[in-house]
Amino acid sequence: MSLEMLLVIAFGGAFLTYLLGKLSPVLRDILAVLLTLVILAIVALFYGRTGESSFMNFLGFNLSLRINTLSWLFAIAVATLGSLSTIFSLSYMKGKERLDFYYLMMLIVNASMLGIVFSGDLISFYVFWEIMSWGTFLLISYNRGPALAAGLKYIVMSIVGSTAYLLGMFSLYASYSTFNIADIASRISTASPGYLLSVLVLFSITFGIKNALVPLHTWLPDAHSEAPSPFSAVLSGILIKMGTYGFVISMYVLVGIKALSHLGHGILSFHFMLAILAAVTILVPTFIALMQDDAKRVLAWSSIAQVGYIILGIAIGTSLGFAGGMFHFLNHASFKALLFMAIGAVEYRTGTRDLNSLGGIIKKMPFTFMMTLIGALGLIGFPLTNGFVSKWLIYKTLILGKDPFLAFVALFGTWGTILYAYKILHNIFMGQLPEEYKGVEEAPFSMKFPMVILSIIIILFGILPGIPLKVINVIGVSLGFKSLAVNIWGIASDTGALNTINIFSAILVSWIVVWLIFKAAPTSLRVEQDNNYAAGSYVPTGRYLYTANFYAPVYRIIKPYVIDVVDIFYMALAGAVRTLCDWTRRMYTGELGSYVMYIMLFLAVLITMRLGFNIW
Amino acid sequence: MKLAEFIISPILAFIIGIFLMGLSRRIMARIHRRYGPPLMQPVIDLVKLFSQRTVSHGPIFDIGVILSLAGTIALILFIPFGGMCPLEASGGLLVILYIMLFAPLGLALSGGEGANPNISIGISRKFILSLGYEVPFILIVLAVMTYYHTISAVDVVKAQSSFHWALFSLPLFLPGLAYILIIPAMLGIRPFDLASAPQEISSGPMAEYGGKYLALAEIEHAFSIFITIALFVDMFLGGSGNVVYFFLKVLVVFIIGLLINAVFPRFRTEQAVKFLWKWPSVMALAGLVIVLAI
Repeated sequence: MSLEMLLVIAFGGAFLTYLLGKLSPVLRDILAVLLTLVILAIVALFYGRTGESSFMNFLGFNLSLRINTLSWLFAIAVATLGSLSTIFSLSYMKGKERLDFYYLMMLIVNASMLGIVFSGDLISFYVFWEIMSWGTFLLISYNRGPALAAGLKYIVMSIVGSTAYLLGMFSLYASYSTFNIADIASRISTASPGYLLSVLVLFSITFGIKNALVPLHTWLPDAHSEAPSPFSAVLSGILIKMGTYGFVISMYVLVGIKALSHLGHGILSFHFMLAILAAVTILVPTFIALMQDDAKRVLAWSSIAQVGYIILGIAIGTSLGFAGGMFHFLNHASFKALLFMAIGAVEYRTGTRDLNSLGGIIKKMPFTFMMTLIGALGLIGFPLTNGFVSKWLIYKTLILGKDPFLAFVALFGTWGTILYAYKILHNIFMGQLPEEYKGVEEAPFSMKFPMVILSIIIILFGILPGIPLKVINVIGVSLGFKSLAVNIWGIASDTGALNTINIFSAILVSWIVVWLIFKAAPTSLRVEQDNNYAAGSYVPTGRYLYTANFYAPVYRIIKPYVIDVVDIFYMALAGAVRTLCDWTRRMYTGELGSYVMYIMLFLAVLITMRLGFNIW
Repeated sequence: MKLAEFIISPILAFIIGIFLMGLSRRIMARIHRRYGPPLMQPVIDLVKLFSQRTVSHGPIFDIGVILSLAGTIALILFIPFGGMCPLEASGGLLVILYIMLFAPLGLALSGGEGANPNISIGISRKFILSLGYEVPFILIVLAVMTYYHTISAVDVVKAQSSFHWALFSLPLFLPGLAYILIIPAMLGIRPFDLASAPQEISSGPMAEYGGKYLALAEIEHAFSIFITIALFVDMFLGGSGNVVYFFLKVLVVFIIGLLINAVFPRFRTEQAVKFLWKWPSVMALAGLVIVLAI
């Protein structure tokens, strides 16, 4: 099976699904799921393959596809999340309108992401990149209303990014007269640092927008919360990681690790500047997330913050940091997709995702609670989940690299994460169950299944991190990083090793000991939620929420400092442009007379200038 | 030998923790000019609590409290203590930092299913307080790790052998003092007992606990007292290869902390956070800057 065939299947299958939807919705659903599963199987079979092949001659340029371990890792993540979110869509989207269109766009976005990671030259990369951007726009604005505004914000920023990409691409073509990434990479080492820096900055704008790096993040909170939940999972899980892929490609494949290290030194280097942006991306969005009341908005801001960790690891550019960043990309894809799906399931059953009105759903949806818990623990980076290992790698890089302030931001961000992750858990599932949700049921099977798969990945990679780390190590070595001493249980090192099996067994044994003590004591009596202790006073039941405004004292302290200044600036800019355009539009009165007058005035000015000043 | 450490160190930690709990009540009582309960009172309480029947609010109510204690016991195995450190090569101080999460998170989950308004308030306060003390705490740990250029707790102890105690070295003096200031916040004792304020919110997250739940929570608290202070002894007082010396160091630090904090009234939540983000953080930050400058 060749790469071209895979892309033909992916795109062709998407259109076939659309056409089949006109005949029978059931067959369409089946085909959509089958298609994503087939793609997943094919991508999985590509493991270990490397190679490049030209597939088309376009205006005299060879367009090519290539595969290596780096693109395989991204492709498998795309294919996995693609199939899981399609399965999740089955019941989530049931009964909604324009479903043929929804599945078409969903499959096309997945196919275009595969195209991006398998592109061997800058032109095909750009084409797939644009297909992805426009497909995403259509999906974000699927719900209309406020979603349309969110989509518009997204596509405007996306176009700015694409323009920057085109500039970078043509500047590279002007210097090397080829679009092939490998060809450019082999000849770029002689370029001047100033030129490399300008190309990198242009690409960083493109990929920074997709990756939602502060200060290019403002499209993300609206887009993530307005999109349909299964697509939010794809959006946050893998789509924004295409920016990460772009960063890796432009920094380590195109420019290369050696040339990159010559771009400035100390604090004034490309590495460090990117790392500082990443640190800001962790710090501020974490605390904005803390103050949100819409569960999906919390997760959206959290996505920005977690992307900060990924870029921080990659920007630092040591083998340990790179491994941490890449691993965190995989982990974020798993736990954030899981969380979006779980919130989607809650919304599907209760009709709301407002953290100030839900509560006590654990009694009705215990399974969804467990999934949310696992996702939240992964997000926090709790030991025995995959998030812990990747964050550990990033912290260690920063501490031993003598960057304790970046390490402080990363660790402090994690403690902010604990607060908002627990807020989601507590405000949705814990506390008193309101009367109106007494009849809520557990999520259906097609929602449970993808969540189970993701939670298994989270725990498996947390206890046996060696499985993905070995693949990541291969990528690192191929990009010129030092090889890491990766074992199945973690990483060996003389400056502090990590052993997840030890942590796991220590906690397991302590658990068993405590559980035995617990069992030996007299059994307890199960009571209802209203039967609780209030020091002699009456605890009101029913519509009385104790979880609303959960961290009020913190809000009061941080509110004056945590403002999205960037968004305010962009919106003011957009407003100014609109005013200017409105003002310009007044010129067009619609009367022929005024247009003739403009022409005459212009000619008069020209003649006056020619006669009076004699400038040309 | 190594295998024995896995059993001995938690048991010793438990005994020391329970002893310190009993002692603290005695010392507090003397400061208040009372006679105070016997030294064995915590043990008597535990026996009583374990024999009582109580109520449960659901599976997470049970699992949370077990998770909280299990995590704390596992944590002991990562801390160098009297020449023992059963799990030394398993991630070092960074893992310790994270396993310290098990206890509050477990109690919060457990309490959450209790559906008592006091619990929600208590949990919210507990997490806010932890956000408060984690700022100086992370800075302190980072200063130590950067100064000794390792993330392993055992290596930090080794570097301080033969009385090169970090507390009396120039760069780490301020972080050491900052740690002493945040110990009561980490333990949730006065003046930082806002999360479990018994008079205000009926012990907060523990409002629904009785019998074995309360007993497990008390044991967890005893362990936490030991761990918090043992970490200070390891990072700033050079640890010790000898269990008796180690215990004496822990005892001295504990009594100093107790004397300072026995006379303070309770902070409000915002006051606590503002205090923690001000003095201890500034001191720890200054230490970190000095470490980097050297």
